[in-house]
Amino acid sequence: MPVSLNYIFKRVLLSILVVIGVIVFSYILLLYTPGDPAVKWAGNPRGPEARKAIEIARRELGLDQPIHVQIAQFIYHVFTGNLGLSIAYKVPVSQVITSGFTATLELLIFTYLLAVPLGLWLGIYSALRRGSRFDSFIQSLSVVLASTPTFWLGAIIALISYSTTGFLPYGRVSYKLATSTGFNPITGFYLLDALIQGNYAVFLDALLRIIPPALAISVYPIGVVARVSRTLVAEALLEDYVRSAVAWGVRRNTIIKHFVLKSIIPPVIQISGLAFVYSIVDAMVVESLVFGREGLGSILLDSLHKADFRVTIALAIYLTIFYISVNTIVDIIQASIDPRVKI
Amino acid sequence: MKRIILVLIALIILVAVLVVVLVNKPSLVTPSTTPPSKIVVYAYNDRITGIDPSIEDDTGLVVLGSIYETLTYYDYKTGEVKPRLATNWTSSEDGREWIFRLRNDVVFHDGSLFNATAVKLSIERARDIYRSSGRGAGYIWDALEEVEIVDPYTVKFKLSYPQRVDILASAAYASYIFSPSAIVKSNAANYTDRKLEDWFNGGNAVGTGPYRLVSYDPMREIKLEKFNDWWGWRYINSEKAPDIVVIKIETDPSAQYSGLLSGELDIASSVPRETISNLKKQGFGIIPLPTYHNFVLFYNTKRYPTNITDFRLAIAHAVDLNRVVSEAVLGMGSVASGVLPHGFPGHIEGLTYEFNLDKAREYLKRSGVSTPIKIELLYQIDYEETKKFAAIFKTLMSELGVDVELNGQDWARLKDIARGVWENPEETPHLIVADWWPTIPSPYDYLYAMFHSESKEWNYAGYENPVFDELITKAWEMEGVNYTGALELYKEAQLTLYQNAIALGLWDEIRPFVYSQRVYVPEEALNPMYTFVIRFELVEVRS
Repeated sequence: MPVSLNYIFKRVLLSILVVIGVIVFSYILLLYTPGDPAVKWAGNPRGPEARKAIEIARRELGLDQPIHVQIAQFIYHVFTGNLGLSIAYKVPVSQVITSGFTATLELLIFTYLLAVPLGLWLGIYSALRRGSRFDSFIQSLSVVLASTPTFWLGAIIALISYSTTGFLPYGRVSYKLATSTGFNPITGFYLLDALIQGNYAVFLDALLRIIPPALAISVYPIGVVARVSRTLVAEALLEDYVRSAVAWGVRRNTIIKHFVLKSIIPPVIQISGLAFVYSIVDAMVVESLVFGREGLGSILLDSLHKADFRVTIALAIYLTIFYISVNTIVDIIQASIDPRVKI
Repeated sequence: MKRIILVLIALIILVAVLVVVLVNKPSLVTPSTTPPSKIVVYAYNDRITGIDPSIEDDTGLVVLGSIYETLTYYDYKTGEVKPRLATNWTSSEDGREWIFRLRNDVVFHDGSLFNATAVKLSIERARDIYRSSGRGAGYIWDALEEVEIVDPYTVKFKLSYPQRVDILASAAYASYIFSPSAIVKSNAANYTDRKLEDWFNGGNAVGTGPYRLVSYDPMREIKLEKFNDWWGWRYINSEKAPDIVVIKIETDPSAQYSGLLSGELDIASSVPRETISNLKKQGFGIIPLPTYHNFVLFYNTKRYPTNITDFRLAIAHAVDLNRVVSEAVLGMGSVASGVLPHGFPGHIEGLTYEFNLDKAREYLKRSGVSTPIKIELLYQIDYEETKKFAAIFKTLMSELGVDVELNGQDWARLKDIARGVWENPEETPHLIVADWWPTIPSPYDYLYAMFHSESKEWNYAGYENPVFDELITKAWEMEGVNYTGALELYKEAQLTLYQNAIALGLWDEIRPFVYSQRVYVPEEALNPMYTFVIRFELVEVRS
């Protein structure tokens, strides 16, 4: 078994410590952000007893307690699975975040399903033509792609889409289409939901709307994966076992498929995993600010704006767990396919 | 090895999907089964803060206004109170007892019957929650001692002092009637039990309105469905009314504009003002609704130099409000006359300070304040128009030798800073721009909140005047027996504010509601008293 119990135990322990650290840090930071959560929790009271309402709200939120007590209570609630109600919207915090989280995750997964194979193909193809014009072009392109600001590219893509086709890829799905066809989100992943329900019109519409932001976000993983895989393949081609295989007259495609690819997959997975968690920030910016899609980006902005500290901290926790989970999964996959890796 | 990887990946995906399915419980009240034929999508510009019919006092109005009804309805064009769930009413001579006769043909969305018990429960809940916690707009029922059930379709409001209950019953908040069945459905012990509030805010409703709640996501969209058993369909042609209404939360005005152009939206509440003429050219319908949402410049009366009346008057006369309306609001507003908006009960003309720089300099000289002097203006950055106003104001004040330091904040921070005028006036900006919209059609709504010495959350002028307090309190109590006399007292109170330049009314907003050719929105569907609420029963779907 490539994964030891010791590893899992250490990871879980580390995750708990990191989550506690994130809560403490976020809580202290949010104390200094504008806005009084008690005013929001009291419902922006306007009557003569507004002050009384705010004071009661302060007590209900525990904001009248010393800061260390507040933090301890928050940590207790997190680990007992009770994040409470959103201060601004009075609905469960988990409900606010989960729907946004699935929206962002759907966009990211879709992006990486496109970006990683494309980046890998570009890298391998470039390495096999090392020194050619194509190789130089791909190398330069990968640097440009990896360093392109995604929000800028997103705006350009939206503009081109609207000016050439008249279609503005705004939102996740057409409200009218979704309502008129009885589309009912089940998992929150609209593409998957549409397929499950056999609603191909909504599937197509959601697909058309996810492609532009996915293109914008994909430039970074395409650039990174292309660059890394090109280097790895180029290095692998100079290895003794490859040269021996060539000398033995093994076919070129067989060498690449069975020897070269096998050796580069683990590092490519690792770099893709790292890029994946990094891209969530890109996704949060692009989805809300450029394409008007719901997601974690708009939830974060809104929670800060409305002094909804429960949602802000819960979001930080979700992201922390997401980072740790992705990295753990990447480690496990790597250990499964590379016998040299023991975790 | 490959198989292990594939199985691992498949397992991860399966677990992820299962977790998401289990965690992401949809907040549907009742899933719609039949695909509707007439759908209208209405873009609203803010997220919904709650839909408890007794407590909600903010953006939830846009939803509550369609699914619940009040006993009466305020007709802003005539200033009259009209019947809704009540058919008629009478009051005693001393204005302390009001008898309302109720419609006997009304059912709630769950099929339960509307009657006097529902009225008693709904009104007393709003009052009691306010009394115990200060939350909601239940303060409008301050005088209410009891709602007595005379018979199943007659109620008597008993008051501790005279009030216009017919006006209070038409309020935008705290007057909605919900079914007593909500208590049972929410497993609440009584009507003040928090479980009931959580049940409502969790996306549940049992009103009598023309539309019933289908799904509720306060951050994204709210779906309403035509309630076929609504009593009012007998009087309104229901054939053309929408079957489904989607209230789409779209906070970005540009996105509302794009949504109209692409056909995704049918009605928009907040397109950028500069796009109005273009939309008009393209055949979109525009209703420029004069609203009761007004903008006021408060003077910090507790800090030098804005504690000097002549200095305040100097500033008032140096503000060119016509320019402000033209450049900051792009014509979508009317120059304010006093602090009550045009068309609102008790509004009086002639309370606009003349733009006259000579007069302003004269007052400045009289104030003894030597220039150049620096003062601070606090304004809200969430509104494009207040940002533009701040820039214009700074330029105008430079004519007087007054250097204005601009302090733009979002609403939450502005409120934090502005209420400091009571505890720490020397650290609070000299000038604060704030906005207001009413809960009830009474001048008391504006005058109490913004200028009464006990209203320390909203009186950003830090204004304390026992005579003024007495005037408006007396007027409020007089409304029930001598409405005309009460309006006279409110007029006197406004003159006091005007003469002492406690605040400068800037503009009353005119909000352009835009609709596509696919629908027709009659003017009667909108009412400034219930801002942003659209009476969808009057909307016609053309195609």
